[in-house]
Amino acid sequence: MIWAIIRPESAQRVIKALDITGIGGITRLHVTGHGKEMGITLGAVHYTEIPKEMLMIVVPDNDVAKTVMIIRTEAKTASKSTPGEGTIGDGKIFVTYVDDAFAIRTAGKACGT
Amino acid sequence: MKLIIAILREDRVEDTKEALETIGVRGVTFLYVTGRGQQKGRVSVRELGESLNRNMRMQLVGTWPGAGSLLHNDTEFAFGFLPKRMLIIVAYDEEVNRIVQAIVNSNQTGRHGDGKIFICPMISAMRVRTGELGDKALS
Repeated sequence: MIWAIIRPESAQRVIKALDITGIGGITRLHVTGHGKEMGITLGAVHYTEIPKEMLMIVVPDNDVAKTVMIIRTEAKTASKSTPGEGTIGDGKIFVTYVDDAFAIRTAGKACGT
Repeated sequence: MKLIIAILREDRVEDTKEALETIGVRGVTFLYVTGRGQQKGRVSVRELGESLNRNMRMQLVGTWPGAGSLLHNDTEFAFGFLPKRMLIIVAYDEEVNRIVQAIVNSNQTGRHGDGKIFICPMISAMRVRTGELGDKALS
C-alpha cells in the first residue's frame, strides 16, 4: 500500500503517468498539512495548513518500486538551486504492508495483491 | 490489531453503518474520497439511472445533442474519479473476518465499482482521553 502526499497541481500528471503503466486503482483524498518547515510565511501571514493531495494505491509487491519511482519523477518540481532535486513541499511517499485485500463485487481475493 | 480500510459506494454507507452496528462494531471513521479502479471511472447508463436523479440525467442528455438515442443501458461514460466513501476501522485480529463479511454483505451489488477492502497490520492504539494503550484503547 502506497500513500503519497503530493502537490495538488502535480496530481493530474502523476495520475496520467500511472495510467500509462497500467496502474488503475487509485483513491484520492484532499488533505492539509505541513512538513518540517512548519508551513510557509507569505508577507505577514503564516500558513500551517497547506492543501495537498493524498493518493492511496495498492499494488503487488513487484510493482512497488516502479510505482514509487513514477510518483517521484512526476511529483518533483524543478529546482533552480539544486538541479535534479525537487523543491520543498513536493511531498512524501509512504509504503506499508497490506495483509489481505478483497474485492467486494466478487467477495474474493483481489487479484494481484 | 488490524486496520481495515474499505472503499465503498456513497449510497451504501447507511446500510454499512447498520450492518456494523448489529455485529457490535462502534468505532468507525468515514472519509469523503474520490477514486477509481481498473475501469478508470467508467459508469454505465443503467448505473447512472440509479445513482443520479432524473434532472441530472436530463442535463447529461442536453449537453450532447443526439445523445438521447444513444443512451441505452449499456452506454458507458468515463467520469475519471468518482465520489466514494473510505471506511476506516481498527479492530482485534479475531473480529476482522466478521467485519469483512458484514461489509461485503451490505455492499455487494455485483457490478463494477463495489469497492475494495484492505487489511493492514496496526501496531498500537492510544485512547486520547485516558491514555490507555494497545488492546485496552479499543475496548
